[in-house]
Amino acid sequence: MIKLESVTKSFGEKAVLNELCLDVKKNEILSLLGPNGCGKTTTLNVISGLSRPDKGNIFIDGVLVEGKSGGDKTVHLAPYDRKVGYVFQTMTLFPHMRVRDNVAYGLKAKHLSKQDVEAKTRSLLDFVGMREYAEYFPHQISGGQKQRIELARSLATDPEVLLLDEPVSAVDPQLRESFRLELKNYLRVLEITAVYVTHNLSEAFIMSDRIAVMGNSRIEQIGSKTDVFDKPGSEYVAQFLGINEYKGKAVKAHAEVLEIEVNGVSLLASSAPNLVGKNVIVTIKPENIMLSMNKSDYLDFKGDSGNSIEGVITEMVQMRSSAQVTVDAGFLIKTRIPLSSIKNLGLSIGDKVNVIFRSDSLNVFTDNNNE
Amino acid sequence: MFVLFISLPILAVFLRLNPSQASSQLQNPQILNAIFLGLLTSVAATVASFIFAVPTAYVLATRKFPGKAVLDTLMDIPMVLPPAVAGVALLLAFAPRGLLGPLLNVLGLTLPGSTIAVVLAQMFVASPFVLRSAKSAFEQVNPDLINSAKILSDSRLRVFFTVTLPLCTRQILTGVMMTWARSMGEFGATLMFAGNLPGITQTMPLAIYMLLSENPFAATVLSAIMIIFSFSILIVVKLLQQKKYGGKND
Repeated sequence: MIKLESVTKSFGEKAVLNELCLDVKKNEILSLLGPNGCGKTTTLNVISGLSRPDKGNIFIDGVLVEGKSGGDKTVHLAPYDRKVGYVFQTMTLFPHMRVRDNVAYGLKAKHLSKQDVEAKTRSLLDFVGMREYAEYFPHQISGGQKQRIELARSLATDPEVLLLDEPVSAVDPQLRESFRLELKNYLRVLEITAVYVTHNLSEAFIMSDRIAVMGNSRIEQIGSKTDVFDKPGSEYVAQFLGINEYKGKAVKAHAEVLEIEVNGVSLLASSAPNLVGKNVIVTIKPENIMLSMNKSDYLDFKGDSGNSIEGVITEMVQMRSSAQVTVDAGFLIKTRIPLSSIKNLGLSIGDKVNVIFRSDSLNVFTDNNNE
Repeated sequence: MFVLFISLPILAVFLRLNPSQASSQLQNPQILNAIFLGLLTSVAATVASFIFAVPTAYVLATRKFPGKAVLDTLMDIPMVLPPAVAGVALLLAFAPRGLLGPLLNVLGLTLPGSTIAVVLAQMFVASPFVLRSAKSAFEQVNPDLINSAKILSDSRLRVFFTVTLPLCTRQILTGVMMTWARSMGEFGATLMFAGNLPGITQTMPLAIYMLLSENPFAATVLSAIMIIFSFSILIVVKLLQQKKYGGKND
């Protein structure tokens, strides 16, 4: 539905997008996930036509909207002609217009009859549950309500593609979680192709069908939610997602497992004989690691040759329902342990523990920078 | 002490007024002419300033081009220039022997001594006020607001007139009011460029200057009228700055 081919955009000397390629399928919600300044908003801006790339082609629904056509003719469709809706990061409701006039703004541009404009405005306000606020001005409604109106306004022109730039960040922090779910429900009902920009991992996980992790001015990895979180494809992605990542060497292939040496410690991963002898990067999600006082606990892994490594707790950071516990086992391992387990085990900093995880929870790939 | 320093001279003008004599001065044709001409020329200068300064301000606020900083500074010069210098400059540009003199002669226009010259002098001195206000207003509009309008509307003109301009209205109107006030009070450039001809170029400040020796009480009445005008304009400016969108619904 949306296709970006080798799109490059620089601001002065700085390349914000570098040969960026992206393919968004019809009716999917794709999250562009990455840290601030990695080019997420610029990607939305070049798709919408608000910003012109230095080179590269952009297609929406098979139509070239930006770039060079076959005859080397430069194409740049105006934002309005691209049939996109855009919900911005900052509040962009027109402050001098009532809620209903904000929603009707795009409808009036389509030269519809007054009755049609009113009827469509009413149905959009109904869709986002804001009909009773039609006569209010934007400064008289809350942050979440404003974003609902922004969504309704962006849908008024019947866009084929919806671009959302961190729409939750403008909502009060305590209401963000419920607004995320609300927004997810709207998008599910709409069955629209959407690109959702965020730097928040859990938001990307909740909102999207697929996730594209952005970094270094390009897409680092794109895939299903589980693909990206379970099998990060690069050090950058693992680091950004807060996943443990280690450099090691695949030393030996056993019958069912691969033995990898990391800082002098042997780890067992699922079999991948083609990696033997290579420098590799090993990643493991903190959620897939258990802590135990008893070394034999890993035997519970239903036939899997689990890993059990001894280490000492060096740091504990408590969160709402879990804690990030860091264990030094020759290298630092971050784990995410429920608060109840910490209480049951009586864990505290300086305790000796066994770090236990299944061999198939390790993700191993070749270290391209260190082959 | 400072407040007293500012308010005492204003108070002095009104204390000197005798209501019955003041009302008789309002029949004085020289005063009436000066008020009429002052209002006519200042309104014309303000309208013309608005028409030319707002688009210029928009270009200066939203476009990048070589020499922009120089042009931006140039547009401010009339604000800091002594009015007498402004008068000389206008003469050198538009008088029959000035730069554009031959061209104006061909068109049959002789500006000095005409009411148009008064308007031009007022415009030259006062238009930077509306230009500054409009430029600052255009610069302050959230670019994402304009971008969201561009996505929803195929006409740039519609975006300008329905979003950009309404968002800047208050600040532009403030500039318009300041331009009007400055135009009405213009003295030096008008005297130098347009002259002091009753009924043709003699605006209120010029009339006050003339009357001060001939009929000091008439000068005081006219001064009081100008103070009332200025004060009213300042009140409007203050109200404009306080107004909120949809405030009446709060």
